[in-house]
Amino acid sequence: MYAFIWRHLPGNTLVRAVISLLLILGIVYLLFTYVFPWAEPLLPFGDVTVDGGDGAAAG
Amino acid sequence: MQDDGTAEPAGAGREAFPPPEEAPRPARRRGLALAALGVFGELLITLGLVLGLFVTYSLWWTNVQADRSASAASDRLRDAWASPGGGSSATPGATPSPGGPPRFAAGDDVGFLHVPAMGDGYQVLIRMGTSTEVLDEGVAGVYEQPYKAAMPWDPSGNFALAAHRDGHGAKFHDLDAVHKGDSIVVETKDKWYVYKVDSTLSETSKYDTGIVAPVPARSGYAAPGRYITLTTCTPVYTSRYRMAVWGSLVRVDDVDAKRTPPPELRHS
Repeated sequence: MYAFIWRHLPGNTLVRAVISLLLILGIVYLLFTYVFPWAEPLLPFGDVTVDGGDGAAAG
Repeated sequence: MQDDGTAEPAGAGREAFPPPEEAPRPARRRGLALAALGVFGELLITLGLVLGLFVTYSLWWTNVQADRSASAASDRLRDAWASPGGGSSATPGATPSPGGPPRFAAGDDVGFLHVPAMGDGYQVLIRMGTSTEVLDEGVAGVYEQPYKAAMPWDPSGNFALAAHRDGHGAKFHDLDAVHKGDSIVVETKDKWYVYKVDSTLSETSKYDTGIVAPVPARSGYAAPGRYITLTTCTPVYTSRYRMAVWGSLVRVDDVDAKRTPPPELRHS
């Protein structure tokens, strides 16, 4: 998979390395900005309040 | 290793067996299987990296964001207090009601919580509401449900607060360091409300709403009074249980011109 991507990147090794780095940074940015904030409330790690069930305050 | 497996499985097979009669078939199949296995392995590695990034996000990046936002909001509130007629404009903070104590709507900033047992100079902004949006901003939220918390200046009731144990500021991370006899101070525009911790509850169910009731259940309090409750989740890094710290009001000091903190907050 990664080898496939590497082979299809243009340029020499240096250019490919730079493009790879940019791709990785872009993916990390997307994860931190959109994916993780979306996923976090779905996971049971951040509920600190007491409530009578779902629908009430949680966080 | 992965490069070899995926890059040229067929070519390698052909070179190894120049007369390709029966050899290429199993060889190519094995090459395909190896390639598939390689992709599967790379997917697993990717999953591991993403999970690691998620931990980084939860325990570090959300703190950075929440601290930044809470610190800006704290500055706004202090500025509003310092300006003449502070808080009366459309800034966060009090919405004054003529002739009575200030009224706060959800999302309004009330003041600051000081708990010396959680560290020197420990200060957390107090904001109305315990919704995810409020608590994720690195503040201590005032319960509005299941029981609407009483405010510190109310004649009786329970000023119940919640904050994150980990991530999003992790303001109550060290709540287990607060013990009986410790001081909790709530700072508002013109009062210091000094509470003493009377009891703590190290673990309870998340459905145990009685711990934030006006007379908190299991706290040992029997009659109405002016109480404070701090809640968060426990053990750390999970949301399995809740823990609580209860205190009662011992004194109310006026804020002087220099905002001199009460003796409980001066370095001991």
